Amino acid sequence: MIPGKYRSVSGRAANNVNCGLHLVIQTSSLPEKSKVEFKLNKETPSFSGRLLQHDLERNYSSRQGDHIHLASSSMPSFPILQRSSEEKILYSDRLTLERQKLTVCPIIDGEEHLRLLNFQHNFITRIQNISNLQRLIFLDLYDNQIEEISGLSTLRSLRVLLLGKNRIKRISNLENLKSLDVLDLHGNQITKIENVSHLCDLRVLNLARNLLSHVDNLSGLDSLTELNLRHNQITFVRDVDNLPCLQRLFLSFNNISTFESVCCLADSSSLSDITFDGNPIAQESWYKHTILQNMMQLRQLDMKRVTEEERRIASVVAKKEEEKKRESHKQSLLKEKKRLTINNVARKWDLQQNRIPNIAPNQDRKVSDSPQDPSQLHGSTVSAFPEETGSLDSGLNNTLQGLSVTDTHLVEVDGDTLSLYGSGALESLDRNWSVQTAGMVTTVSFTFIEFDEIVQVLPKLKIKFPNSLHLKFKETNLVMLQQFNALAQLRRVDQLTIDPQGNPVVNFTLWKYYVLFRLSHFSMQKINGTEVTQNDMIMAERLFGILAHVASSELPQYRLISILGDVRKKQFRYLLETKGKKPGLVNEENSDSKRLVGENTNRATLNYTTRDFYNERLEEIKEKKKFCKMYMEDLVKEATEINMKNEALQKLWPQMFIELVRDAVIEIRNKNSYMKLCLQQITDQK
Amino acid sequence: MLSPERLALPDYEYLAQRHVLTYMEDAVCQLLENKEDISQYGVARFFTEYFNSVCQGTHILFREFSFIQATPHNRASFLRAFWKCFRTVGKNGDLLTMREYHCLLQLLCPDFPLELTQKAARIVLMDDAMDCLMSFSDFLFAFQIQFYYSEFLESVAAIYQDLLAGKNPNTVIVPTSSSGQHRQRPPLGEASLLEGVEASLFSQCLENLCDRHKYSCPPPALVKEVLSNVQRLTFYGFLVALSKHHGINQALGALPDKGDLMHDPAMDEELERLVVRSRLHWTSRQHRAEEPGAFGFQRRDKLEAPESMPSASAPSPYPCRWEPRE
Repeated sequence: MIPGKYRSVSGRAANNVNCGLHLVIQTSSLPEKSKVEFKLNKETPSFSGRLLQHDLERNYSSRQGDHIHLASSSMPSFPILQRSSEEKILYSDRLTLERQKLTVCPIIDGEEHLRLLNFQHNFITRIQNISNLQRLIFLDLYDNQIEEISGLSTLRSLRVLLLGKNRIKRISNLENLKSLDVLDLHGNQITKIENVSHLCDLRVLNLARNLLSHVDNLSGLDSLTELNLRHNQITFVRDVDNLPCLQRLFLSFNNISTFESVCCLADSSSLSDITFDGNPIAQESWYKHTILQNMMQLRQLDMKRVTEEERRIASVVAKKEEEKKRESHKQSLLKEKKRLTINNVARKWDLQQNRIPNIAPNQDRKVSDSPQDPSQLHGSTVSAFPEETGSLDSGLNNTLQGLSVTDTHLVEVDGDTLSLYGSGALESLDRNWSVQTAGMVTTVSFTFIEFDEIVQVLPKLKIKFPNSLHLKFKETNLVMLQQFNALAQLRRVDQLTIDPQGNPVVNFTLWKYYVLFRLSHFSMQKINGTEVTQNDMIMAERLFGILAHVASSELPQYRLISILGDVRKKQFRYLLETKGKKPGLVNEENSDSKRLVGENTNRATLNYTTRDFYNERLEEIKEKKKFCKMYMEDLVKEATEINMKNEALQKLWPQMFIELVRDAVIEIRNKNSYMKLCLQQITDQK
Repeated sequence: MLSPERLALPDYEYLAQRHVLTYMEDAVCQLLENKEDISQYGVARFFTEYFNSVCQGTHILFREFSFIQATPHNRASFLRAFWKCFRTVGKNGDLLTMREYHCLLQLLCPDFPLELTQKAARIVLMDDAMDCLMSFSDFLFAFQIQFYYSEFLESVAAIYQDLLAGKNPNTVIVPTSSSGQHRQRPPLGEASLLEGVEASLFSQCLENLCDRHKYSCPPPALVKEVLSNVQRLTFYGFLVALSKHHGINQALGALPDKGDLMHDPAMDEELERLVVRSRLHWTSRQHRAEEPGAFGFQRRDKLEAPESMPSASAPSPYPCRWEPRE
């Protein structure tokens, strides 16, 4: 509030070129209540001891009144300032021209000792006419309309330069102000920090409320203690570690979102006070402990003291984070390995199936990791994972357990699913699986393996993974309905999933019914995800029931026995082969299979022998067939000979009979001599 | 039995004609293979069973293809077995592709060759798109012709090709024939313009063929009948006509007439029993109520099944082994 006797002339005087102006400006003491933040003391030059609040933008006003006269000058636009001599003596080193509606800097005459110059709250657009005040230490141009820093090149003693709330677009023309201690440029339009590297005595730099988007170019500010960058658009900060004395850094209300963008702060050993509030980074869950962890030297964060407790927690959390990262990195590596292996297996499979032209093998991408030692991969690795996960979050509970990853096949146990890729994976069934792992497995998935090979392994599967109820087949070359017969030897299957890819059998309309029919004793619940209804079972029975009937009742007994015997013999043989079999178990298996057979004798004869076995058997039979043929030929020869002889005899017999009779009759013609002959024969015989 | 003509044949020929040796050899081979099992109940019984099954036509079940193909009787038995087992599939009205039929064939004979099925399919489809669907009866009759008379058909194919090419097969195939007929060669242009071959010419060639293959060709009279109805015919047209001819079917004796193809009361009865049993089996295992619903995969062409399911409580001639549950 300006009291009545304060007469002021509008600053538009500068526009009237012609008139000489008589400006009589009197200032009176302003009411007490205006805050006096900055006190001007007699002992001036060293302001270093002064405690400057970081809001230097708060205005101050001097209490002393200054009697100022502004007279016209020779230069038409600039008013000339003159003070009464008493005032000059009283306040020889300071001059306050606040709120004088000045639009230009007046020419100040005869005040060469001036040390403090206050132009606050005016409308000045250019810094001019102060080049002669070479003793100036304190220059305040807060709240004007200055667009460019200029006209300061002679003020070599300047220590405090307050240019807040102007329209300055660039930091420039400060070259000669080597003693500058405080530079306040808040509330301007500065976009870049530049041209400050020579200010080696600068202690406070205020660039709040500007248009800075990043922070760099801070080298050379060797005394900087406080840097205020609030309310900008800063996204990253650099070079702060080049400020050896920086203690306080205010970055509130900017655009910092990651710690990486301010990572240079970690290298600054002098920093003790920092603010990040109002940045996106402050909203992150990891904000506090990341900052604390990386900046152990901090004493205050966001204007609050950092306690020991917080620091401790921060380090613990940071450690956990790192472990988590390591873990997930490991997992992603494993996954990548797995993916590559599966790709490799897939390509091999395609080659095998002659789907793609044969490429040279060295073009194949090989996963370049050594196959893991199998002995390491049994219970030890499997149980190692659960221990690790125990200490981490529950989020890592279902860790993928890649147990064996090599070039050509992949075996993986993931909770309740055992996945096998590639025919080499079938060997893994021979391993010693821990009872717990094996017991948990309810789903077994086969991919890129020939079904014929899987069939041979099914007995092992039955024993090692007794709880496997769901079988999945993809790219396994299922082409015949007959192949499903092989699944009957398992103990129990609840669900079956046959992926159409690589399994042509799925294209047949009746395949599901055949499966249901053949495996009716399993009472399957789902096939390829669809539930099995009673109607389906009935339809299956209806379609194929007669086949079963024919297969059981119309086969001669010996065939029945031989076919069933074959199956049981195979199973028995396998049981005998496995080591460490207890005899009790063997019996159980036998009775089990007997039970199975008893359940549906009519289907049991529908078996599947893999093509190779079949051909092998046919080969074996060839020998027997040859022998049989020869044997039969011999028999036939004999028989035909006998037949011939028989026929010959038939032809000759009548003749022979007549001759026999004739001979006998001739012999008996003479009764007496015949009787004598007979008696003779009898006595001779004795 | 003891007809004079039978006794007139020399031994080997007689045996060969009746394929006695084939069966004997096979019997002995089977005996060797299953020594341990058969020795349990005696060789004599084994032979009885074996030849009984040969008579009944069940000896070919699940045997290798070479055996099934060995004698006409085997082939006929196989056809009959196939019909018996999969009649229900046909009855259901499903139309299947060639591969699916082949699958079914493989259920009975694991190494049945695909070419035969393909040839049979070609007859049905007239050598057209091979992925078309075929009905059970069409396929079965075509398959019968193809399988039973395969050698004959091969010769016929050769003859047909020759005729098409304009050559006179009579002078080629019958090498030192005493007939010495030198027919005029039909002008080349004529044969290529019109489709197929002249029926009468064809018929004559076939007659000669039949004379040579006495036991493995359709009755010549019937073949003549088939050929007498048309002026010209193609190879597949001829085969289709063969397959649809009732007389040939009856002469073969393996399959019933087309009209009766779906009828088999004995098996139907048996089937009903099985279905009932499976239904009881199901309900005893599944205690929850099932919604009757579509299975969710496509059925191509389904006709209404004419028969209705007898309820479980209905009296059946066969004594039920399970008590019907509530």
